[in-house]
Amino acid sequence: MVTRGNHHRMPSYRLVLLAASVLLAPPSSLRAEAPAKTNSLGQQYAGIVRIENAAIQPDYRTPWNGARPAGGTGTGFLIGPNRFLTNAHVVSNSTRLIIRGVDDSTPHLAKIEFIAHDCDLALLSLEDPRPFEGVAPLPLDDTLPLLDSEVVAVGYPVGGDRISVTRGVVSRIDFRPYSHSGVDQHLAIQVDAAINPGNSGGPVMQGSKVVGVAFQGYSGAVAQNVGYIIPGPVVARFLEDIKDGTYDHYADLAIAIFPLQNPAMRRALSLPENGMGVLVAHVDSGGTCAGVLQRGDVLLEIDGQPIASDGFIEFGGERVNMNEIVERKFTGDRIKLTYWRAGAEAATEVTLKRLTSYLMQANLYEKRPEYVVFAGLVFQPLDRNLLSTLNLTDDNVRYFFNYFGPRELSKERSQPVILTQVLPDAINTHFDGVGGKMVDTINGQKITRMSDLTSALEKAEGEFIKITLVGEGRPLVLDRARAAAASTRINTQYGVSEPSFLEP
Amino acid sequence: MRHFLFPALGLLALMPQLAAASETPSPDKSILRVNVSNQPHNFALPWQKRQPGSKQGLGALLDGGRVLVTAELIQDSSYLEFEVASSGKKLTAQVATVDYEANLAVLVPKEKPDDFFTGLVPFPMSGNPPQKGDRLEVWQFESNGTPVTSPIAFETARLGRTFLEGSYFLQFEANGAVNYREGSFTLPVIRDGHLAGMLLSYNSNDQVATILPFPIIKAFLDDAADGEYAGFASFGIKFAPTLDEQLRTYLKLGDQKGGIMVTGVMPDTSAARAGLKEGDVLLQIGEHTLDARGNYQDPTWGLLAMGHLVKGAHPVGTALPLKISRDGQPMELTLTLARKAARDFLIDPYVFDRGPRYLILGGLVFSELTRTYLEAFGNEWRDRAPFELVYAVQNPEKFARDGRKKLVFLAGALPSQSTIGYEGVRGAFIEKVNGQVINDIKDLSAALTRPVDGLHTIEIDEVPYTLYIDAALAAADNQTLLPQRYRITELQKLE
Repeated sequence: MVTRGNHHRMPSYRLVLLAASVLLAPPSSLRAEAPAKTNSLGQQYAGIVRIENAAIQPDYRTPWNGARPAGGTGTGFLIGPNRFLTNAHVVSNSTRLIIRGVDDSTPHLAKIEFIAHDCDLALLSLEDPRPFEGVAPLPLDDTLPLLDSEVVAVGYPVGGDRISVTRGVVSRIDFRPYSHSGVDQHLAIQVDAAINPGNSGGPVMQGSKVVGVAFQGYSGAVAQNVGYIIPGPVVARFLEDIKDGTYDHYADLAIAIFPLQNPAMRRALSLPENGMGVLVAHVDSGGTCAGVLQRGDVLLEIDGQPIASDGFIEFGGERVNMNEIVERKFTGDRIKLTYWRAGAEAATEVTLKRLTSYLMQANLYEKRPEYVVFAGLVFQPLDRNLLSTLNLTDDNVRYFFNYFGPRELSKERSQPVILTQVLPDAINTHFDGVGGKMVDTINGQKITRMSDLTSALEKAEGEFIKITLVGEGRPLVLDRARAAAASTRINTQYGVSEPSFLEP
Repeated sequence: MRHFLFPALGLLALMPQLAAASETPSPDKSILRVNVSNQPHNFALPWQKRQPGSKQGLGALLDGGRVLVTAELIQDSSYLEFEVASSGKKLTAQVATVDYEANLAVLVPKEKPDDFFTGLVPFPMSGNPPQKGDRLEVWQFESNGTPVTSPIAFETARLGRTFLEGSYFLQFEANGAVNYREGSFTLPVIRDGHLAGMLLSYNSNDQVATILPFPIIKAFLDDAADGEYAGFASFGIKFAPTLDEQLRTYLKLGDQKGGIMVTGVMPDTSAARAGLKEGDVLLQIGEHTLDARGNYQDPTWGLLAMGHLVKGAHPVGTALPLKISRDGQPMELTLTLARKAARDFLIDPYVFDRGPRYLILGGLVFSELTRTYLEAFGNEWRDRAPFELVYAVQNPEKFARDGRKKLVFLAGALPSQSTIGYEGVRGAFIEKVNGQVINDIKDLSAALTRPVDGLHTIEIDEVPYTLYIDAALAAADNQTLLPQRYRITELQKLE
């Protein structure tokens, strides 16, 4: 078992996709709106709304094209004056958001105030708050419910248009991968209430209080009656984080730990046989613990809580993952660590930082694909969206993708550039079989990010532009004078509206 | 008649009784059924073999009681026998020579054949190259032993891949209808009473037969004749065509015609020893000029890929002059054809007929990485095997270092007393053990004789980077748990 910091890094992105599916309902084009009618249901659940997201799907295959329309529906609920809580995945990549009340046929335009992709939460407001003035917000409980206690999930799942209520019990409370980002892991509550696409973002209630937000199910054939909800503490942390007007994301210890359960390993480290402590196997050189911890140290305590050899601590009367301590803190907070090095105990304090290199493997949202088209060669930066859309299988590309964070390859190339495809033209007609490989150099200059690429291509030195690719012995050689003319011609023929887009 | 070889047994007294050489070969007298019991080693559990299976093919009878088959037929065989199709008479056989790259093997009787070969007629080892449209015949049997002859027409010769990745040899293509009979893994192809080749595959949709041709068979048999088989040479380059005018100008080829760009030179190969370098343009091999795709005009077969000049046209040891252009300057080099055997690679491209080398410590299973190990993960091995192992197979040069002979890796941990907590560690390369650099599995075995303070220290290249094993506990697991519960009879195989 390897855990890192407060997010659990999944070594394989496929695993997460298989294990969980987010609960966004597909758009239903034929939606017969029932006439507005007031009843007791309407009053009880007046703060629970249906969210319709007209979204766009960026096109990584033809990145110069506009995005494709997509979208779906989910649930949200009022938590304060003109504040609606929902899942990030319900409102991601949106171009237009509409909120409708329980028995309300009127569409109300909404906008995103804050969105947190790492914990799949978002806060919305209405452009015109008046329709929900006077509606009582749902009170939030920021503690964890008891196992086997009854919960009620309310929302607008598939299977009908009107509000739906399902009932179940709390089955388990544990760290789970959050499939929206694909790389984060937080506390989640497993319930056996039916939670289906469209339920996403809806409240899960105990009595009159909200104990969680429905967010994902389990699509594997091996499990049944498994739904997951984001628990109160995670919701409370999100709301606390945005109080200063920005969302600062989760912070991370940025270390890899290994359980210390082998007696020989404990003996080698001169540790007593008391079942405590985890091995520090890797310390990210730009992360929170850089310069403080080193490989081979043993973490004994975090904020005064003794760490068991499996990485768990006693916290609030429960055995929880030690990362729960980091989970509840914010960037800039300090955290106390006691560790064992060379047979002696030492104590230190670190300041929590956010780690970004792991975003290489994350699903990305609200992003316009970056690209450069030159002489028909299409260059794009490597990220998970690109890798999965284009199904890149080149070993060197996968090596950078897999080890970008874990082996700190980000230091070698901060934004690996992929030659994704060649738009055929006389100038590049012999460049076959090179699509999907990583750019190494241009005229001898190492390409570490997209801006290197543009500056190298713009340098008007020499008769040739020589591009080398990682793992490909053959250089791509372009006649500089011909390449410029070809670029114009190719972009016109293939409808490449702009030769490049790079984020400022 | 060629000398009859029994290299392993040296039983020259067992000269079989063959019919007079003047008799013409015929299906019932010149081809034999070859029944094979195959049993590959289990690379995931290297101390045992997999469940046995069976294959049946046809072999061509050569002089001296030798029978020619494809190597694929007898790969990982546990038992072999010849069968006379008409009479059903059987004889236990064994492999005399096998070349998995060329996909050829010679089988001989395991013991004194008595009168098994009496009345049979071997194929003469000669023949003229076929011309387009020439009639070839595919010989096989009905299940009752009745001969079946299917005529096909020779179309062309070209280089094609054998069943091993990256192994290209001269092949014939022929057109016509061939109906496969039961148990016909590879089929002899005959032209005018001579063996023209062995049918490798047949596409029934477009009725094209692919044939391993007699020039390769002859080179294989000539090589094996002295009892010491040298094998076919390996060139050792990667190359790219130079069709692109921009590339030709960049390479300063001037008004040179043709030539291919060398884009990689593998260490310890003919090319490396000849002094070929990345970026060179290879213009001529021997007397043959290369076009921009790397083809030459073969006097017999017409336009052919240059690979045939290295593998097939000339035996190992032949010196061929090369003409190259380096940085626009003409140069001459000498290519002495040499073979790089599978075992001489950092990562063996294939391992057949034996299991992997391995060592088990307490429950930690160490092995030497081979491509065959990864292929045991199934067709999707690139996705299913541990990524770093896959990466190493595709990029061995990134893992080469001085003295390193093989890549020793931790395949996994069998649950035992000494491996508690290590169950999830797998697919990691071994750097050092007890302070010793590990260059092959023998180094590992030697290093494990020297634990420090009762602990083995195993340095790997993945989290947690160092594993410690209690030497006494591991010895106890080795003695009791592993043999009793996992039925591991051999805790290591180093050869």
